[in-house]
Amino acid sequence: MREGSIGPRYRYELGWRGFFLIHLHRIQRSLRRLIGQSRLILEKPIGVIGLVIIAFFALMGLIQPLLMSTVWDKATYDPFLGFDVAIESHPSLPSRTHLLGTDYKGRDVLSQLAFATRTSFVVGVVAALIGSIVATFVGVVSAYYEGAVDTVLMTLAGAFLLLPPPVVLLTVGLIIDMNGLQVGLLYGIFAGLGSLAIMVKSHALSIKSKQYIQAGRIAGGRNWRIIRVHILPNLLPLLAVNMMFIVTGSVMIEALMSYVADTLTRFSWGRMIWLIQDQFRGGIVGLQWHVIIPPALAIMLFCGAFYMVGHALDELVNPRLRSE
Amino acid sequence: MPNLSSRIPQGTLRFIGSRLFRSLISLLLFQVILFSLIQALPTNIVELGDVVAAHGEGLEDFQMSGSAEPAWQQFITWVKDFYQGDLGKSTSLGMPVVDILKERLPRTLLLLLPGTFAGFLLGIWLGKRVAWQKRGWLELAATLGGTAFYTSFPPWLAFVMVNAFGLSLGWFPPEKIIDPMKWFRHDVTINEVILKLFLTLGAAGLTYLLFTWMTRKYFWFRSWLRAVGGVVIIILAIIPWITSYYGPLAADILYHLALPLITLTLLSFGETMLVMRATMVEAMEADHVPTARAKGLHDSQVRDRHVARMAILPVLARFILHLPLVFIGSFILERVFYWDGMGEILIQAAIDNDLPVLLGVLSVVGVGILLAYIIFDLLNLWFDPRQRIIEGAEVLIQGEI
Repeated sequence: MREGSIGPRYRYELGWRGFFLIHLHRIQRSLRRLIGQSRLILEKPIGVIGLVIIAFFALMGLIQPLLMSTVWDKATYDPFLGFDVAIESHPSLPSRTHLLGTDYKGRDVLSQLAFATRTSFVVGVVAALIGSIVATFVGVVSAYYEGAVDTVLMTLAGAFLLLPPPVVLLTVGLIIDMNGLQVGLLYGIFAGLGSLAIMVKSHALSIKSKQYIQAGRIAGGRNWRIIRVHILPNLLPLLAVNMMFIVTGSVMIEALMSYVADTLTRFSWGRMIWLIQDQFRGGIVGLQWHVIIPPALAIMLFCGAFYMVGHALDELVNPRLRSE
Repeated sequence: MPNLSSRIPQGTLRFIGSRLFRSLISLLLFQVILFSLIQALPTNIVELGDVVAAHGEGLEDFQMSGSAEPAWQQFITWVKDFYQGDLGKSTSLGMPVVDILKERLPRTLLLLLPGTFAGFLLGIWLGKRVAWQKRGWLELAATLGGTAFYTSFPPWLAFVMVNAFGLSLGWFPPEKIIDPMKWFRHDVTINEVILKLFLTLGAAGLTYLLFTWMTRKYFWFRSWLRAVGGVVIIILAIIPWITSYYGPLAADILYHLALPLITLTLLSFGETMLVMRATMVEAMEADHVPTARAKGLHDSQVRDRHVARMAILPVLARFILHLPLVFIGSFILERVFYWDGMGEILIQAAIDNDLPVLLGVLSVVGVGILLAYIIFDLLNLWFDPRQRIIEGAEVLIQGEI
């Protein structure tokens, strides 16, 4: 062990209990810092609007199973198999029992809408997490180790730039029937290997030239420790902004995929529109406007909410990034 | 004519050379990744090939995945053919892929290029003005409106537009590229007319650029001169079309183009507007802005020449990042409007598991994105004088992306 590397010595002197406490303290500290910083977003009205809409959708996704098990009758309100015998003809317009009406198979639109929220969250969150993990790994390694590693990784990123995730998903997703998790994974991998990796790398390079990195090296910090303690926390703002944009893009693409082709493994807002696509094309809506408008608006609001939060974060974070 | 090479710094030329070299490497690597991705897909082409073989028809059409060759050999064959202009044969349509692309590409470009360009210009123009007004409610309204258009579901926006302007008001035709009734007597293909349209547009644009270059010295009235020159060039470009045989046909195409084009513009302007607004607000705080005002410059001169010019660089960087989403929006609109372009064939090929067509279309999309990045780097070089001075221009440009 080299002189001056702090972590392992503490572990030795304080035992496992001390080791655990130190790490708990570190996590607490970084969480507190994160909350303190994220409070800034409340200064931006668009950020607040976005957060409120996201909270609304989260609530909607959570409340659907609750309603199904308590108030809503399973046979009537199930998003796939429900059918209301009390109504004469389906599709039916919004009424007291069905707040958004029923579709042509007699299923409750509100229940479907709330159920599909889950898919959107899974796709968006998985894509954002995987994308930023991959991009951080590629970008930081490339920026820190330079030389041949940098050349290889950046050439790879340059090639993945030409295969943007929306285009890949619109082809691969139509050939393989994927569930929400897989859609998110694929989007995240392609987003993280392409443009985001280049962005992270250039930012990590600018951090690397700072004096505190030199100081850390002189103090005997090893590569991994410098990356973890000094570089990664400074990348977080950039990643947060781009995660929001990844959520927007992935949810939009998932909706488009479901809209374009038949899928059996995931139920989403795009699929709700696909189910009545024949009426949708050519502007003949007839009785079914209440089936089209809610999912279309839901896609717009959901993507727009994450987009607005991303923009608010960008306006907070970016001037600082540029002035550095 | 002064010697051009003396005016371009050495670093710039070297930068362009290395940029092109890197693009070539990226393109090759992109083809490797694309081919492996498509090969890894589980499709039913092999069984289809077996069925055809059992019926005694040519198996060579199904060489893509049905043959016994190892994948790397197939890849080498494909790349060799690719650079010789042969992309194989479509398994679902039975036509050479190159012919399909030749037919579809002009139609896609006719929708995509003006849509992207108009969206970008509209976004810059609106963002500039909204930021300059400095009114809280206006900024909030612009942000909400821009977000709503940018993140609206493309088929839904198309649906609203078709219903409003296509069916209720009847201003524009709701679908297809042409009205067959106007074309059946003419022995002209759509692509010929589209090509002539592009040629006219390119010639007019180049003439205008030449004109701006010629008038650069008349500082005090050059904006008037350029406006008049622009109008004259537009009139000169339109006159031959009015008198020619192709005139009504081109008018028919443009008439059908209107609705998809407006929809695509609405879809793509929001992003540019929001980023432009945000960077304008930052750029307005720079020290040179009060100086420009103190010189007694007109308000719009300060805005356009001293603030907007500085604010436009980050906008370009973000625009290029969101370009794939605009591509996809355009592809989906093609399907919604029955516009027989590349997006329509891409989606249909994916649904039909037509791998040669998929490879062909995705290669064209990749090359398009590569070209966009090269143009972006050159534009950056043009807009940002710092990069022309500094020797290691490469580092800075990577920083912008």
